[in-house]
Amino acid sequence: MTMSPFDNQPDPELGRLLRERLTGPAPEAFLRRLRLAVAAERADQWDVLAGWARPRVLAAAIAAGFFLWLGAWFTQSAIHDDPGITMAATLPAQTVVSSQAPAVDDIMLALRERGPR
Amino acid sequence: MEDAELAQRAVRGDPEAFGSLIDRHGLAARRAARAILRDEDDADDAVQEGMLAAWRAIERFDPARPFRPWLMRIVVNAALDARRRSKVRQAEPIAETLESGGLAPDRMAEAALLRARIDAGLAELPERQRIALVLFDAEGWGHADIAAALGVPEGTVRSYVFHARRAMRQSLGTLAEGMK
Repeated sequence: MTMSPFDNQPDPELGRLLRERLTGPAPEAFLRRLRLAVAAERADQWDVLAGWARPRVLAAAIAAGFFLWLGAWFTQSAIHDDPGITMAATLPAQTVVSSQAPAVDDIMLALRERGPR
Repeated sequence: MEDAELAQRAVRGDPEAFGSLIDRHGLAARRAARAILRDEDDADDAVQEGMLAAWRAIERFDPARPFRPWLMRIVVNAALDARRRSKVRQAEPIAETLESGGLAPDRMAEAALLRARIDAGLAELPERQRIALVLFDAEGWGHADIAAALGVPEGTVRSYVFHARRAMRQSLGTLAEGMK
Protein backbone atom coordinates (compact mmCIF):
# COMPACT_ATOMS: atom_id res chain seq x y z
CA MET A 1 0.00 0.00 0.00
CA THR A 2 1.50 3.30 -1.06
CA MET A 3 -0.87 5.44 1.03
CA SER A 4 0.81 8.65 0.03
CA PRO A 5 -1.53 11.53 0.72
CA PHE A 6 0.15 13.43 -2.11
CA ASP A 7 -0.43 10.75 -4.72
CA ASN A 8 -2.78 12.01 -7.41
CA GLN A 9 -3.74 8.51 -8.53
CA PRO A 10 -6.09 6.09 -6.79
CA ASP A 11 -4.29 3.71 -4.48
CA PRO A 12 -5.13 0.21 -5.76
CA GLU A 13 -4.42 -1.53 -2.45
CA LEU A 14 -6.45 0.86 -0.33
CA GLY A 15 -9.16 0.81 -2.99
CA ARG A 16 -9.33 -2.99 -2.87
CA LEU A 17 -9.60 -3.01 0.93
CA LEU A 18 -12.34 -0.40 0.88
CA ARG A 19 -14.28 -2.18 -1.86
CA GLU A 20 -14.10 -5.49 0.01
CA ARG A 21 -15.20 -3.83 3.20
CA LEU A 22 -18.02 -1.75 1.75
CA THR A 23 -19.48 -3.77 -1.13
CA GLY A 24 -21.70 -5.80 1.18
CA PRO A 25 -23.19 -9.25 0.77
CA ALA A 26 -25.04 -10.59 -2.29
CA PRO A 27 -24.25 -7.76 -4.73
CA GLU A 28 -26.20 -9.39 -7.58
CA ALA A 29 -29.31 -9.70 -5.45
CA PHE A 30 -28.93 -6.08 -4.43
CA LEU A 31 -28.76 -4.91 -8.04
CA ARG A 32 -31.80 -7.06 -8.85
CA ARG A 33 -33.66 -5.44 -5.96
CA LEU A 34 -32.87 -1.98 -7.34
CA ARG A 35 -34.05 -2.90 -10.83
CA LEU A 36 -37.26 -4.39 -9.47
CA ALA A 37 -37.90 -1.29 -7.38
CA VAL A 38 -37.56 0.92 -10.46
CA ALA A 39 -39.79 -1.41 -12.51
CA ALA A 40 -42.42 -1.34 -9.76
CA GLU A 41 -42.20 2.44 -9.61
CA ARG A 42 -42.77 2.61 -13.35
CA ALA A 43 -45.79 0.32 -13.10
CA ASP A 44 -47.17 2.56 -10.36
CA GLN A 45 -46.68 5.61 -12.56
CA TRP A 46 -48.68 3.97 -15.36
CA ASP A 47 -51.40 2.97 -12.91
CA VAL A 48 -51.68 6.54 -11.69
CA LEU A 49 -51.73 7.81 -15.26
CA ALA A 50 -54.33 5.26 -16.30
CA GLY A 51 -56.42 5.99 -13.21
CA TRP A 52 -56.25 9.67 -14.05
CA ALA A 53 -56.96 9.16 -17.73
CA ARG A 54 -59.95 6.80 -17.69
CA PRO A 55 -62.58 9.08 -16.10
CA ARG A 56 -61.28 12.08 -18.02
CA VAL A 57 -61.37 10.31 -21.36
CA LEU A 58 -64.94 9.24 -20.59
CA ALA A 59 -65.91 12.78 -19.57
CA ALA A 60 -64.29 14.19 -22.72
CA ALA A 61 -66.19 11.68 -24.89
CA ILE A 62 -69.49 12.58 -23.23
CA ALA A 63 -68.78 16.30 -23.60
CA ALA A 64 -67.83 15.87 -27.25
CA GLY A 65 -71.05 13.91 -27.90
CA PHE A 66 -73.11 16.57 -26.16
CA PHE A 67 -71.55 19.39 -28.15
CA LEU A 68 -72.00 17.50 -31.41
CA TRP A 69 -75.67 16.99 -30.60
CA LEU A 70 -76.03 20.63 -29.56
CA GLY A 71 -74.40 21.79 -32.79
CA ALA A 72 -76.67 19.59 -34.88
CA TRP A 73 -79.73 20.82 -32.98
CA PHE A 74 -78.83 24.48 -33.51
CA THR A 75 -78.21 23.90 -37.19
CA GLN A 76 -81.60 22.22 -37.60
CA SER A 77 -83.37 25.02 -35.69
CA ALA A 78 -81.67 27.67 -37.77
CA ILE A 79 -82.83 25.97 -40.97
CA HIS A 80 -86.42 25.64 -39.74
CA ASP A 81 -86.52 29.23 -38.45
CA ASP A 82 -85.18 30.77 -41.67
CA PRO A 83 -88.35 32.13 -43.39
CA GLY A 84 -86.66 32.18 -46.75
CA ILE A 85 -85.79 28.49 -46.56
CA THR A 86 -89.18 27.62 -45.11
CA MET A 87 -90.93 29.53 -47.83
CA ALA A 88 -88.71 28.01 -50.52
CA ALA A 89 -89.61 24.54 -49.28
CA THR A 90 -93.32 25.23 -49.82
CA LEU A 91 -93.09 27.01 -53.17
CA PRO A 92 -93.53 25.04 -56.35
CA ALA A 93 -90.17 23.83 -57.68
CA GLN A 94 -90.42 25.82 -60.92
CA THR A 95 -90.82 29.00 -58.87
CA VAL A 96 -87.69 28.40 -56.83
CA VAL A 97 -85.41 27.43 -59.72
CA SER A 98 -86.83 30.01 -62.13
CA SER A 99 -84.61 32.95 -63.03
CA GLN A 100 -87.70 35.21 -63.10
CA ALA A 101 -89.51 36.68 -60.12
CA PRO A 102 -92.42 34.49 -58.90
CA ALA A 103 -95.92 35.51 -59.73
CA VAL A 104 -98.00 36.95 -56.88
CA ASP A 105 -100.56 34.15 -57.29
CA ASP A 106 -97.93 31.47 -56.76
CA ILE A 107 -96.76 33.10 -53.54
CA MET A 108 -100.28 33.49 -52.21
CA LEU A 109 -101.06 29.88 -53.07
CA ALA A 110 -97.95 28.69 -51.24
CA LEU A 111 -98.81 30.73 -48.17
CA ARG A 112 -102.35 29.35 -48.11
CA GLU A 113 -101.09 25.78 -48.37
CA ARG A 114 -98.60 26.36 -45.54
CA GLY A 115 -101.30 27.68 -43.28
CA PRO A 116 -100.86 29.78 -40.14
CA ARG A 117 -97.72 29.09 -38.01
CA MET B 1 -22.91 1.39 -24.81
CA GLU B 2 -21.73 4.56 -23.09
CA ASP B 3 -23.39 6.05 -20.03
CA ALA B 4 -24.42 9.08 -22.08
CA GLU B 5 -26.34 6.98 -24.60
CA LEU B 6 -28.02 4.89 -21.89
CA ALA B 7 -28.91 8.07 -20.04
CA GLN B 8 -30.44 9.57 -23.18
CA ARG B 9 -32.56 6.46 -23.65
CA ALA B 10 -33.57 6.59 -20.00
CA VAL B 11 -34.57 10.25 -20.42
CA ARG B 12 -36.85 9.09 -23.24
CA GLY B 13 -38.47 6.69 -20.77
CA ASP B 14 -36.59 3.45 -21.49
CA PRO B 15 -36.54 1.52 -18.17
CA GLU B 16 -34.11 -1.09 -19.54
CA ALA B 17 -31.54 1.62 -20.19
CA PHE B 18 -31.96 2.87 -16.66
CA GLY B 19 -31.60 -0.73 -15.45
CA SER B 20 -28.27 -0.98 -17.24
CA LEU B 21 -27.13 2.19 -15.50
CA ILE B 22 -28.16 0.65 -12.18
CA ASP B 23 -26.03 -2.40 -12.98
CA ARG B 24 -23.07 -0.16 -13.71
CA HIS B 25 -23.30 2.19 -10.76
CA GLY B 26 -25.41 0.38 -8.18
CA LEU B 27 -22.54 -1.15 -6.24
CA ALA B 28 -20.48 2.03 -6.23
CA ALA B 29 -23.57 3.79 -4.91
CA ARG B 30 -23.92 1.09 -2.25
CA ARG B 31 -20.31 1.53 -1.13
CA ALA B 32 -20.71 5.29 -0.94
CA ALA B 33 -23.94 4.89 1.04
CA ARG B 34 -22.28 2.42 3.40
CA ALA B 35 -19.42 4.85 3.90
CA ILE B 36 -21.98 7.42 5.01
CA LEU B 37 -24.42 5.30 6.98
CA ARG B 38 -22.28 2.37 8.11
CA ASP B 39 -25.40 0.29 8.59
CA GLU B 40 -26.01 -2.01 5.65
CA ASP B 41 -29.82 -2.03 5.75
CA ASP B 42 -30.03 1.73 6.04
CA ALA B 43 -27.44 2.08 3.28
CA ASP B 44 -29.31 -0.27 0.94
CA ASP B 45 -32.58 1.54 1.61
CA ALA B 46 -30.91 4.88 0.93
CA VAL B 47 -29.46 3.64 -2.38
CA GLN B 48 -32.88 2.36 -3.43
CA GLU B 49 -34.46 5.65 -2.44
CA GLY B 50 -31.79 7.52 -4.38
CA MET B 51 -32.22 5.36 -7.48
CA LEU B 52 -35.99 5.85 -7.43
CA ALA B 53 -35.52 9.59 -6.99
CA ALA B 54 -33.13 9.57 -9.96
CA TRP B 55 -35.62 7.62 -12.08
CA ARG B 56 -38.42 10.05 -11.17
CA ALA B 57 -36.18 13.00 -12.02
CA ILE B 58 -34.62 11.48 -15.14
CA GLU B 59 -36.48 13.91 -17.43
CA ARG B 60 -34.62 16.76 -15.76
CA PHE B 61 -31.20 15.18 -16.43
CA ASP B 62 -29.18 17.03 -19.04
CA PRO B 63 -27.68 14.34 -21.34
CA ALA B 64 -24.90 16.76 -22.27
CA ARG B 65 -23.51 16.36 -18.75
CA PRO B 66 -21.94 13.21 -17.26
CA PHE B 67 -24.49 10.84 -15.75
CA ARG B 68 -22.41 9.26 -12.97
CA PRO B 69 -21.89 12.34 -10.78
CA TRP B 70 -25.54 13.33 -11.28
CA LEU B 71 -26.73 9.91 -10.09
CA MET B 72 -24.22 9.69 -7.26
CA ARG B 73 -25.13 13.13 -6.00
CA ILE B 74 -28.75 12.01 -5.66
CA VAL B 75 -27.72 8.80 -3.88
CA VAL B 76 -25.31 10.62 -1.55
CA ASN B 77 -28.03 13.14 -0.69
CA ALA B 78 -30.45 10.28 0.00
CA ALA B 79 -27.88 8.68 2.30
CA LEU B 80 -27.20 11.97 4.08
CA ASP B 81 -30.95 12.47 4.57
CA ALA B 82 -31.25 8.94 5.96
CA ARG B 83 -28.35 9.66 8.29
CA ARG B 84 -30.02 12.81 9.56
CA ARG B 85 -33.26 10.90 10.11
CA SER B 86 -31.56 8.10 12.03
CA LYS B 87 -29.10 10.24 13.96
CA VAL B 88 -30.66 9.25 17.24
CA ARG B 89 -30.05 5.59 16.50
CA GLN B 90 -26.78 4.03 17.39
CA ALA B 91 -24.80 3.09 14.28
CA GLU B 92 -24.31 -0.62 14.02
CA PRO B 93 -21.00 -2.03 12.86
CA ILE B 94 -20.76 -3.22 9.27
CA ALA B 95 -21.30 -6.95 8.98
CA GLU B 96 -18.37 -9.20 8.35
CA THR B 97 -18.02 -9.38 4.58
CA LEU B 98 -14.27 -9.39 3.93
CA GLU B 99 -13.27 -12.64 2.36
CA SER B 100 -11.23 -14.63 4.83
CA GLY B 101 -12.15 -18.18 3.93
CA GLY B 102 -9.24 -20.60 3.65
CA LEU B 103 -6.87 -18.50 5.75
CA ALA B 104 -4.86 -19.96 8.60
CA PRO B 105 -6.01 -18.93 12.09
CA ASP B 106 -3.27 -16.35 12.48
CA ARG B 107 -4.12 -14.86 9.08
CA MET B 108 -7.83 -14.84 9.94
CA ALA B 109 -7.08 -12.96 13.12
CA GLU B 110 -5.01 -10.53 11.09
CA ALA B 111 -7.86 -10.09 8.59
CA ALA B 112 -10.30 -9.42 11.42
CA LEU B 113 -7.92 -6.86 12.85
CA LEU B 114 -7.60 -5.23 9.45
CA ARG B 115 -11.40 -5.00 9.15
CA ALA B 116 -11.57 -3.43 12.57
CA ARG B 117 -8.85 -0.94 11.63
CA ILE B 118 -10.62 -0.01 8.38
CA ASP B 119 -13.89 0.45 10.26
CA ALA B 120 -12.20 2.54 12.92
CA GLY B 121 -10.32 4.58 10.34
CA LEU B 122 -13.48 5.26 8.33
CA ALA B 123 -15.47 6.05 11.47
CA GLU B 124 -12.97 8.72 12.48
CA LEU B 125 -13.13 10.49 9.15
CA PRO B 126 -15.50 13.41 8.65
CA GLU B 127 -18.38 12.36 6.42
CA ARG B 128 -17.34 14.15 3.24
CA GLN B 129 -13.72 13.03 3.57
CA ARG B 130 -14.97 9.46 3.87
CA ILE B 131 -17.11 9.78 0.74
CA ALA B 132 -14.28 11.43 -1.20
CA LEU B 133 -11.83 8.71 -0.14
CA VAL B 134 -14.19 5.90 -1.15
CA LEU B 135 -15.04 7.48 -4.50
CA PHE B 136 -11.40 8.31 -5.27
CA ASP B 137 -9.55 5.20 -4.12
CA ALA B 138 -12.23 2.50 -4.21
CA GLU B 139 -14.15 3.69 -7.27
CA GLY B 140 -11.36 5.40 -9.19
CA TRP B 141 -13.31 8.61 -9.73
CA GLY B 142 -11.52 11.79 -10.74
CA HIS B 143 -11.52 14.83 -8.50
CA ALA B 144 -13.84 16.69 -10.87
CA ASP B 145 -16.52 13.99 -10.74
CA ILE B 146 -16.34 13.79 -6.96
CA ALA B 147 -16.57 17.58 -6.78
CA ALA B 148 -19.70 17.46 -8.96
CA ALA B 149 -21.22 14.69 -6.86
CA LEU B 150 -20.57 16.45 -3.56
CA GLY B 151 -21.27 19.93 -4.86
CA VAL B 152 -17.92 21.33 -3.69
CA PRO B 153 -14.92 22.79 -5.54
CA GLU B 154 -12.32 20.41 -6.93
CA GLY B 155 -9.64 21.80 -4.62
CA THR B 156 -11.80 20.90 -1.65
CA VAL B 157 -12.00 17.31 -2.89
CA ARG B 158 -8.19 17.16 -3.14
CA SER B 159 -8.01 18.37 0.43
CA TYR B 160 -10.59 15.78 1.55
CA VAL B 161 -8.65 12.95 -0.09
CA PHE B 162 -5.34 14.20 1.31
CA HIS B 163 -6.60 14.33 4.91
CA ALA B 164 -8.56 11.09 4.61
CA ARG B 165 -5.55 9.18 3.31
CA ARG B 166 -3.33 10.52 6.04
CA ALA B 167 -5.85 9.45 8.67
CA MET B 168 -6.26 6.00 7.12
CA ARG B 169 -2.50 5.55 6.99
CA GLN B 170 -2.32 6.22 10.68
CA SER B 171 -5.22 3.87 11.33
CA LEU B 172 -3.98 0.97 9.22
CA GLY B 173 -0.27 1.39 9.89
CA THR B 174 1.69 -1.46 8.37
CA LEU B 175 -1.11 -3.98 8.85
CA ALA B 176 -2.41 -3.79 5.29
CA GLU B 177 1.02 -4.75 3.92
CA GLY B 178 0.55 -8.28 5.25
CA MET B 179 -2.80 -8.76 3.50
CA LYS B 180 -1.43 -8.68 -0.05
